[in-house]
Amino acid sequence: MRTRVKICGFTQIEEAVYAAHQGVDAIGLVFYPPSPRNVTIAQAQDITNALPAFTTVVALFVDESEARIREVLQQVPIDCLQFHGDEPASACRIYGKRYIKAVRMQATTDVAELAEQYHDAAGLLLDAYHVDAKGGTGQSFDWELIPKHCALPIILAGGLDETNAKQAIQAVRPYALDVSSGVESSKGIKDALKVTAFIQQVNVSIHTQPHPQGETHRRIEVGRLSLPVNEEVTAKDNDTDVSSSNLNIPLNGEVSDQRDVSMTEKYNMPDLRGHFGPYGGLFVAETLIPPIQELNAAYQQYLHDPEFIAELDADLQHYVGRPSPLYHAERWSRELGGAQIYLKREDLNHTGSHKINNTVGQALLAKRMGKTRIIAETGAGQHGVATATVAARLGLECVVYMGAVDVARQSLNVYRMKLLGATVVAVESGSKTLKDALNEALRDWVTNVDNTFYIIGTVAGPHPYPAMVRDFQAIIGREAKQQCLAQAGRLPDALVACVGGGSNAIGLFYPFIDDESVKLIGVEAAGDGVETGRHSAPLCAGKPGVLHGNRTYLMSDEDGEVIETHSISAGLDYPGVGPEHAWLKDTGRAQYVNITDTEALEGFHALTRMEGIIPALESAHAMAYTMKLAPTMRKDEIIIINLSGRGDKDMQTMAKREGIEL
Amino acid sequence: MSRLTNVFAELEKTGRKALIPFITAGDPQPDFTVPMMHAMVNAGVNVIELGVPFSDPMADGPVIQRASERALAHKMSLRKTLAIAAEFRKTNQTTPVVLMGYLNPIEAMGYEAFANAAQIADIDGVLTVDLPPEEAEECTALLKARDIDPIFLLAPNSTDERIQKMDALGSGYIYYVSLKGVTGAGHLNTTDVANKLQQIKAHTTLPIGIGFGVKDALTAQTVAALGDGVVVGSALISKIEANLDNPERAKQEICELLSAMRLAMDSVGA
Repeated sequence: MRTRVKICGFTQIEEAVYAAHQGVDAIGLVFYPPSPRNVTIAQAQDITNALPAFTTVVALFVDESEARIREVLQQVPIDCLQFHGDEPASACRIYGKRYIKAVRMQATTDVAELAEQYHDAAGLLLDAYHVDAKGGTGQSFDWELIPKHCALPIILAGGLDETNAKQAIQAVRPYALDVSSGVESSKGIKDALKVTAFIQQVNVSIHTQPHPQGETHRRIEVGRLSLPVNEEVTAKDNDTDVSSSNLNIPLNGEVSDQRDVSMTEKYNMPDLRGHFGPYGGLFVAETLIPPIQELNAAYQQYLHDPEFIAELDADLQHYVGRPSPLYHAERWSRELGGAQIYLKREDLNHTGSHKINNTVGQALLAKRMGKTRIIAETGAGQHGVATATVAARLGLECVVYMGAVDVARQSLNVYRMKLLGATVVAVESGSKTLKDALNEALRDWVTNVDNTFYIIGTVAGPHPYPAMVRDFQAIIGREAKQQCLAQAGRLPDALVACVGGGSNAIGLFYPFIDDESVKLIGVEAAGDGVETGRHSAPLCAGKPGVLHGNRTYLMSDEDGEVIETHSISAGLDYPGVGPEHAWLKDTGRAQYVNITDTEALEGFHALTRMEGIIPALESAHAMAYTMKLAPTMRKDEIIIINLSGRGDKDMQTMAKREGIEL
Repeated sequence: MSRLTNVFAELEKTGRKALIPFITAGDPQPDFTVPMMHAMVNAGVNVIELGVPFSDPMADGPVIQRASERALAHKMSLRKTLAIAAEFRKTNQTTPVVLMGYLNPIEAMGYEAFANAAQIADIDGVLTVDLPPEEAEECTALLKARDIDPIFLLAPNSTDERIQKMDALGSGYIYYVSLKGVTGAGHLNTTDVANKLQQIKAHTTLPIGIGFGVKDALTAQTVAALGDGVVVGSALISKIEANLDNPERAKQEICELLSAMRLAMDSVGA
């Protein structure tokens, strides 16, 4: 949801119309003669006549007589009244119009008490207190005075302008911002550039949901419809609001003074030490402890930092191309004859997969930490490309480690990385695949800890990587949830995503973990079949162990040696899995299934031919499982599949498999 | 008093430093290791670090990685490494043996089963590269209850707080990783090591073994002057790798190098 903007104190027609076209939600007209922004009834009529539809007109009064207010209401099409004086509630509610009550904030102001007095108001407008001034003061006040929960929508006013709008939204998470002098060049004269800049700043914070001022959000079940509804309930314990800041900040068990930073209310993993139950943790050699502590500190700091979040939001929107669509695959759904299938189109992101959500975030962290060199491991090459891309953009040196086997089967991505200026190192040790690339990247990091930032591409590695990568990827699920509610009017019944390390899956799952009606299904790569031993399905066929800095399900032999994995898709060819998936498996919150190479190819062809979308071989595993699942479900049920990447990179593999010479 | 504590105490009396070789169990073949261990003792070493081969040795450079691969090719494992140590102990009751490796083989065996097996094999210390104090409590307690010294690593970037942590949790000795990097890297800076050792010694009375970057008699001599022990690994394993067709010659070259180190180190104290 978007924070609304009201601009107050228009006197000129052109200025008001301009603001409306810039996207302002409400314009305020001041009927208070001492104000430099006072308008006459005639002026007000001219302005309202010129305004386009859907722009709310608010009339502001300060201790005005009933007669005068009625006169204005009779002659000007006012949508909403704003009382800025000492009007009691009884005086506000006699006009049969919606009203907002302005409150001048002092340390002793009891907002909750006022919300009760003016319980029928459409919002409380909080402004700075000034001993002489009634009406707007243009001064800001201490936002800490605003209670976290309030029974009415909060409209924040006082000293706002384009330089602090984002910050105000992050800190207060109000329903709306109210600005007047902050967008003026001189008293009463609105400045077009400032108006535009202000609205843009609010829009940059577009993913930031307003704080649920007001209402204890509860879910009510209306048939199969499950939506948050507003109720006048005072108990705060059952607040199950799903809002969050753009980044779902990992609290790691800490109680934060930030507001509603967590997406999930009940689920709060990992703990302070990075443990998801028995999984996760910090299993690294001593040399890596200091840089990991440094990273963790930066991560905790910047994910609470409004400027960081705003920059990330802007990058995700303008560079990555978010939000990615949620596409209803109607033809395929009909063909399968069961549930309605929706595809979360991460394949449409810049660089062609979900991987860039994370690399953009980590690269911004690297920049803020003053690191000049980026390293990464990659399997299919998607993460390597996404890393090389952000490194190129920020002018950072980039080295990507890739197993020699993967270098051979994903040569297109190797070339892309080289074009982007990265050095690609083919790793010849061990099984020459993703796990060995990770080993080599860790060795590089140990050697170059001072200037190097290691961008891990999946929800594995030592704490804080599993939580951090998840938080950067959770944008997938947050968008999907909003889009599904908007398109279908309800939550999905099942989410399906492929799991290698598990970053695209956790990105989709995480914002739904508290929504118990939504089934979470991770699809592992069964390769030649789990029973053959040639697969990459640790959750289905492995056991707990420790590798690459965390405890998780792992494919290792009875002596604890990690065994070689197999999958047609390089991105799933990994013997471990993110520790959070291990935890979700053990707790039963998610279920994990597996799909063979052959089945994945069927999924690949099905989506390509039915919907004209060529999926990555990784994502094709999720498609293939959906082909089994959808027919078992009713037609009014919904499956969201994470289409985590596009198939361009797999053309050679596909052609070779099918005996075609390119 | 544990064998390890005893060895360092005895050396201190005569102003000498411990020479601590590292070899990977089962490299280049399983029957090579026990005779090699005895030969090293004869060449004058004081403690033996016995590497447990692992498929993913993340903190090791290419030389020790390949040693692991060679050993694994012969199906070497944690169990078999313990058996080698037990075999060695039959004819040597004085030289401490420290297992050095990664956590997953221990996880696979189970902490308690491992601690019991290590006790039966008369292991003196266990150094698990990827088990920092944060995660080590359970395993450490089980080892200490069996008089096995848990040995921890310190690095050039370790803070005072971490040094204190290792001092509290570890025993036997502390392994100081003298450079930021993997095993076998080659850029040891004596002044840096000396400064760091001063900082470490301010927080612990445990002996400090210094490793990573010790290549020859001269570096061994230099490093010996800075700490209580010198760990040498990749330089020895290079000899094995250079003589894969002739393990006997590898053994001979390793012993020659160790003898030269012994001599150089002892001349420091003289």
